[in-house]
Amino acid sequence: MDQKIGVYICSGCGIGEAIDCQALGSVAEEFSIAKVDHSEMLCGVTGIETINSDIASGAVNCVVIAACSGRVKTGEFCFDPMTVISERLNIREHVAWCQPAGAEDTQMMADDYMRMAITRVQKTTLPKPYLEELDKTVLVIGGGVSGLQAALEAAKADYKVILAEKEASLGGQMLNWYKNTPTQAPYQELSEISVQATIDEVTSNPNITVKTNVTIEKIAGAPGMFDVTFSNGGGTNRIGSIVLAAGWKPYDASKLESLGFGKFPDVITNVQMEEMAKAGAIACPSDGSAPSVVAFIQCAGSRDQDHLPYCSAVCCRVSLKQALYVKEQNEENKAIVFYKDMRTPEQAEEFYKQVQKNGVVFVKTDTSKVTISEGSERKLSIETMDELLGEPIQIEADLVVLATGMQPATLDDPILNLEYRQGPAMPQLKYGFPDSHFICFPYETRRTGIYAAGCVRQPMTASRAANDGTGAALKAIQCVEMASQGKAVHPRAGDMSYPDLFIQRCTQCKRCTEECPFGMYNEDVKGTPLPHPTRCRRCAICMGSCPERIISFNNYSVDMIGSMIKSVNVPDEYDEKPRVIGFICENDAFPSLDMVGINKLNYPPWFRFIPLRCLGSLNLVWIADALSKGIDGIVLFGCKFGDDYQCHFIQGSELANTRMTKIKETLDRLVLESDRIRFEQISIDQYERIPAILEEFTQRLEELGPNPYKGF
Amino acid sequence: METKIPFLEVSDAIVMSGAETLYWCMQCGLCTGTCPWRLVPGEASEQFNVRLVQRMGQLGLEGFESENCLFACTTCRACVDRCPRGVDIIGNIRGMRAMLAEVGTIPPSLKPIAGSLHSQGNPWSGPREKRTEWTEGLDVPAFSADTEYLLFVCCTSCYDIRSRKIAKAVVTSLRAAGISFGIVGAEESCCGESIRKIGDEALFSKLAESNINLYNGKGVKKIIVTSPHCLYTFNNEYPELGGEYEVYHYTEILAQAAAEGKISLSGKMAGEVVMHDPCYLGRHNDIYDAPRNLITSIPGADIKELARNRKNSVCCGGGGGRVWMETKAGERFAELRITEAIESGAKTLVTSCPYCITMLEDSCNVMGKQSELKVMDLSELVAENL
Repeated sequence: MDQKIGVYICSGCGIGEAIDCQALGSVAEEFSIAKVDHSEMLCGVTGIETINSDIASGAVNCVVIAACSGRVKTGEFCFDPMTVISERLNIREHVAWCQPAGAEDTQMMADDYMRMAITRVQKTTLPKPYLEELDKTVLVIGGGVSGLQAALEAAKADYKVILAEKEASLGGQMLNWYKNTPTQAPYQELSEISVQATIDEVTSNPNITVKTNVTIEKIAGAPGMFDVTFSNGGGTNRIGSIVLAAGWKPYDASKLESLGFGKFPDVITNVQMEEMAKAGAIACPSDGSAPSVVAFIQCAGSRDQDHLPYCSAVCCRVSLKQALYVKEQNEENKAIVFYKDMRTPEQAEEFYKQVQKNGVVFVKTDTSKVTISEGSERKLSIETMDELLGEPIQIEADLVVLATGMQPATLDDPILNLEYRQGPAMPQLKYGFPDSHFICFPYETRRTGIYAAGCVRQPMTASRAANDGTGAALKAIQCVEMASQGKAVHPRAGDMSYPDLFIQRCTQCKRCTEECPFGMYNEDVKGTPLPHPTRCRRCAICMGSCPERIISFNNYSVDMIGSMIKSVNVPDEYDEKPRVIGFICENDAFPSLDMVGINKLNYPPWFRFIPLRCLGSLNLVWIADALSKGIDGIVLFGCKFGDDYQCHFIQGSELANTRMTKIKETLDRLVLESDRIRFEQISIDQYERIPAILEEFTQRLEELGPNPYKGF
Repeated sequence: METKIPFLEVSDAIVMSGAETLYWCMQCGLCTGTCPWRLVPGEASEQFNVRLVQRMGQLGLEGFESENCLFACTTCRACVDRCPRGVDIIGNIRGMRAMLAEVGTIPPSLKPIAGSLHSQGNPWSGPREKRTEWTEGLDVPAFSADTEYLLFVCCTSCYDIRSRKIAKAVVTSLRAAGISFGIVGAEESCCGESIRKIGDEALFSKLAESNINLYNGKGVKKIIVTSPHCLYTFNNEYPELGGEYEVYHYTEILAQAAAEGKISLSGKMAGEVVMHDPCYLGRHNDIYDAPRNLITSIPGADIKELARNRKNSVCCGGGGGRVWMETKAGERFAELRITEAIESGAKTLVTSCPYCITMLEDSCNVMGKQSELKVMDLSELVAENL
């Protein structure tokens, strides 16, 4: 493509008052460009028409929109990405609204941003999407309530579905249930189990192929081209995307001897209780007698650092339900629930109230400290501190039910058996549940094209698991559709770039294959990366990781950012105008910088921000480039990392921080102070912190004095 | 600490005795925090935790029976209004008291009250035949087929010397308003409100049934009461026993008459008055405006509100049987009201319940504030302004 760059400068929204737009145009004209155009309202009909007619006439094929933030007016400034390279240069929020109007430094800032934007365009080529013959079949793993719903939703949207179930029949855990907690208003009565209706719908749907008695032997390939081999002679199928609805398993009660499990036959789990109710009668295992007093111990091995540290979200409701079974068996029966906190979210509070009204007795206590021993009048004696009474109590019961929690089915079985360089299982965050940036993207996992639904994702009720199946099915559909168009899925949905490796120069250091949070690269025997573009989320963490700088995207590369840094004018040291490069994550921190402008907050004019796809794509060479050019300081804005990370690409922010620890070598070589580089974690709502950070950093840089490399 | 052994059979019995919502309670403790006992020092304040009492009830445990614990509750209803679970806390207290009453273990101070109610039909140990002694010199008509309203005078205002002034003032005022009313007299018994709150269900039924038979026999359709406690019982507890009447507190009748111009008030004794909302008129019967409207219909009268008014009014300490129990000076709710009233700057504290008058006036005297503040029933204020 022979680039013909059109630069369109808007002077509306206060830009014209703050910046000399004509002078800004002259900066653009220092580059080899086709034209500069000025408008008082570029987003108006005339402004848009000018750009579109320039494109239509062939006068320009690259546009730089020097106006407002790229997060607004996206409908107005919308060009065919296959034929036009476009760049939004934000001189409104990032210059005019956060700097004093008409100041020399304000103008210098706008001028530098113009140079950087044109450089970016010059280093961009048109996308060549990765287009292959891709399959759109959705594989659902697990035939429980979540998997059934996922299969049904995908099939109803006219996608072919393979539903794989390891048991002989569909239905999952619900097949063993007697009744469900209330599912409809007024949320006071137990519901009948209705899973059979869903099973019938699934088995009669022509789009769904059900495979029972099978597990997944292996999954090779990538979204749109997974090759899934089933056990038991189930064959191999080409698959587009996968819903993992493998469900849960109860916490191993044999670890709960402290609560009498295994010691007394009449101490059972809530799962055993459910099975007994389903079988028709609740009886004491020791002698088969019908219990007249039943005690429930909540959080048995849950919210307990020695067992499961988390809350399984459903056990309170399950015990409420089972307490009613006890009353249903005989109205005179007593049910006593020992609890840490009753957790009855959503409409279940109505159910809790109803169960209280039915005369079930509740005892608030630290259930991990309950003592269970042989009783004198009844089979078992329960002693504990009644926190509401402030005194210890002793109650005898015939049967004790331990409300044990849920664990993901993937805990000690990868289930997926992926042929990925990073291993056969889904990466986990905590407690064996999949890592997914769950705050914003619950169904996403760190394996593109594989979406977790139901209790394998997090503990939940059956009705929520069914909803989860719907959500994950929609993600699976989005994935096959996007992949078939060569586009990225969430969070860079629609991005047509993908990593291009100059493989001849690869030294097989394996940093890319190890650091990719999504397992995009497999490896050959020598350790050479084998990219799978449809697995790629386009974060460019691999680009940041590569010491040989051989990984690039058509619209994002080491050279591009390096050239943008070089395009910044660095005044000499006697001008007392420091220059600081800000590498800023474009997911949260960059919009936050917009908000600084929107709120008309000021910060020192020395900063030049460069948005990065993820701070993890930061390549250390940029730091060296900048410092050797005389840039006085570097500030990095990334997302919060750690266990409760906010990085959209899971680990990018953390990786950037790790790389910073290695930057010392570079600084030592240049004989520069480590304080010239600052790393800040910022969340999207913390825009107020930004000016303070920048002020403070500026002061520190003043103390350090100018970078001695200025003018080299 | 001694391990307690719950007796769920006992809690079943408490539920059967009327504590129907005992298990609805989730033990959040908002009731305890709301309870006026938190506003005063002393034994009852330390011992009576309404949340804990219900917890003991839920588990069928002993230890709540004392005058300063279970019987500390004045049934003021402040907690019921705030309970997030809609628990009938008063019903639960009543149920637990009823359990004790059935086996005769109510506090000793309440035993003569029950005895007097049994033998004389009033809690004040006054002879039944003297029930109408207060009418002397007033020529109060007897209720007949021609009278529109039966005037039911609270036992307190029939026998208590101070309270008799209220009965007289009500009669004077009703007469001035041209209301057609009459009384029944000695055959009448206590409405039974307080004894039911104390837990003696059998005695309550006896009293109520006797009154209902009497009234139904006489063709009573409409009743004016002098006490909001009677109003509560007639409205809420008589219908299920066959006594269905239109019942009004006298302030409602007089406020209506004033609004219609049927009573002319001079304003000769008007000025600033501060108002105390009785629990049973306000929270129990939702009547807040009638007494205020009645006061403002007196020319020159100006209402000062206490800081805690209407729904947030603080109990005088006399409900739920407490009017017959001793609360030490310095630990009485009424003292809070007197102090607040004096702080308001008004010289007169007006209320409209015989129990409130008893409690407030007593505290005012004990505190030695009678020269600063005059405690009056609203009927008296009206009568003085005729």
